[in-house]
Amino acid sequence: MSDTSVNVTGIWKIFNEGLPNEVTALQDIDLTVETGEFISLIGPSGCGKSTLLRVIADLTGPTRGQATVAGMPAAQARKDQRYGIAFQQAALFDWRSVRRNVELPLELQGWSKDRRRTRAMELLEMVQLADFAEHRPWELSGGMQQRVAIARSLAVDPPLLLMDEPFGALDEMTRERMQNELLRIREETGKSIIFVTHSIPEAVYLSDRVVVMSPRPGRITDIISVNLGSRTEDTREAEGFFNAVTAVREALRGRGPGSSEARSRIGEI
Amino acid sequence: MAHRLRAIWPPILIAVIFLGSWQLLVFVQNIQPYLLPAPSLIFTNFFSDVSLMWAAAFYTGTTAFLGLMFGTLFGLVLALFAQRLAIVNNLVTPLAAGLAAVPIIALTPILNNMFNITSRTPRVLVTMIIVFFPVFVNVTRGLIQVIPVQLELMRSMNAKPSTVLRLLRIPNAIPFFFTALKIAAPLSVIAALVSEYFGGPQEGLGSRIASAAANTAYGRAWAYVVASIITGLLFYLVVLAVERWAAPWTGQSRSA
Repeated sequence: MSDTSVNVTGIWKIFNEGLPNEVTALQDIDLTVETGEFISLIGPSGCGKSTLLRVIADLTGPTRGQATVAGMPAAQARKDQRYGIAFQQAALFDWRSVRRNVELPLELQGWSKDRRRTRAMELLEMVQLADFAEHRPWELSGGMQQRVAIARSLAVDPPLLLMDEPFGALDEMTRERMQNELLRIREETGKSIIFVTHSIPEAVYLSDRVVVMSPRPGRITDIISVNLGSRTEDTREAEGFFNAVTAVREALRGRGPGSSEARSRIGEI
Repeated sequence: MAHRLRAIWPPILIAVIFLGSWQLLVFVQNIQPYLLPAPSLIFTNFFSDVSLMWAAAFYTGTTAFLGLMFGTLFGLVLALFAQRLAIVNNLVTPLAAGLAAVPIIALTPILNNMFNITSRTPRVLVTMIIVFFPVFVNVTRGLIQVIPVQLELMRSMNAKPSTVLRLLRIPNAIPFFFTALKIAAPLSVIAALVSEYFGGPQEGLGSRIASAAANTAYGRAWAYVVASIITGLLFYLVVLAVERWAAPWTGQSRSA
């Protein structure tokens, strides 16, 4: 197995190319995610962070450039189920029980009923929802629904997890609990994770590296390493945490180290 | 149970008040039956001829049921075809509006000429056409209007279009389907009944209402109207019961 989980080189994504309403959503993006690494993509709306995630997931194709996941082209990685994905909306199917929602990816892979059931229960155990296996999604709170979605994304045991603002619609307390939960799951499973977020503390708390992006055209302006060791609730109040938060905030304002280009654009943000 | 009772008594109370004031109005104002018969007269007629009522309701109900079945089937099959065509996406709503304006019931005399007027066929056809439209339009909408993120999820799992149809689009369309049926079921009874006004066999509710009125038997005419209402309501309630059983997630807050 290679050490590189995701490799993005020279990715451009241009909508309506050649038309008056042309938009450059991604401009010449290079990014490498190591195996087992937790990366956050952060930036204001329209910076292309979700688009970048969708290119990696092969939900949309790049205009130019290429992305590889687990050493293979993104399209192949999608076909081989080399990643799991979770969105801001839990996107659960109301007509299925919680357990059968988690089983969905396994069903598409042709797993037998018994194996599916065992695996789904295992995952629900992990996200601490085993007691709700036979409930319907609408009977669950937003945070619980999101945990089901995470369990579903882990179903086929992919090496990579792609998450598009999965906690964006949750209240602050639930959100922090979910962050701890996610880190615990990551600890248990050793997944590589790419996590799109709007929240600076969330990005810093979760990530090994925070990728800072800026809009028009969407591009990476900074990559900030976060070395806070293993996270506990105390981490959120540690000095190193605040320093990292400040560093990301500065980078978002275009005043971070190594973003000379961004520095001249302060007025725009 | 107490909860159930609380939900039931207001409509019953309103019905009692309504019928009571109707009776009172007819009595006090001495209104003639050809203008407005009293509820007591209608119910006397209803219960004295209850077997006739039942037979007429059964005849019209059968027409309605056949039309409902075939119309629904036809609507479902066409909706499955339609969702494959991208162009339909933008057409469904204007189509629905346009088709709602077609006076389908007025086609009955033409269909009576085209098919055997002494048979049930033209009536079933009219009912079928009327049922078809709400089913087709709603189910197509349900198949097409899937939450985009659910489609992305299916794509991320490399699902084939036929799998997306089976696991996502069809279940998604089920609440739409029942919405259509709740409109179509009582409508099918009305269509079957009105189509009897254009000649043909005289056993149905529509024929009975017409002939009773023509014979100045207003109490009986209204009794058949009551039988029609009961038939339509029965159709509606059956659909409601099937919906509760088949699609319990309908009307729940979407968790998507």
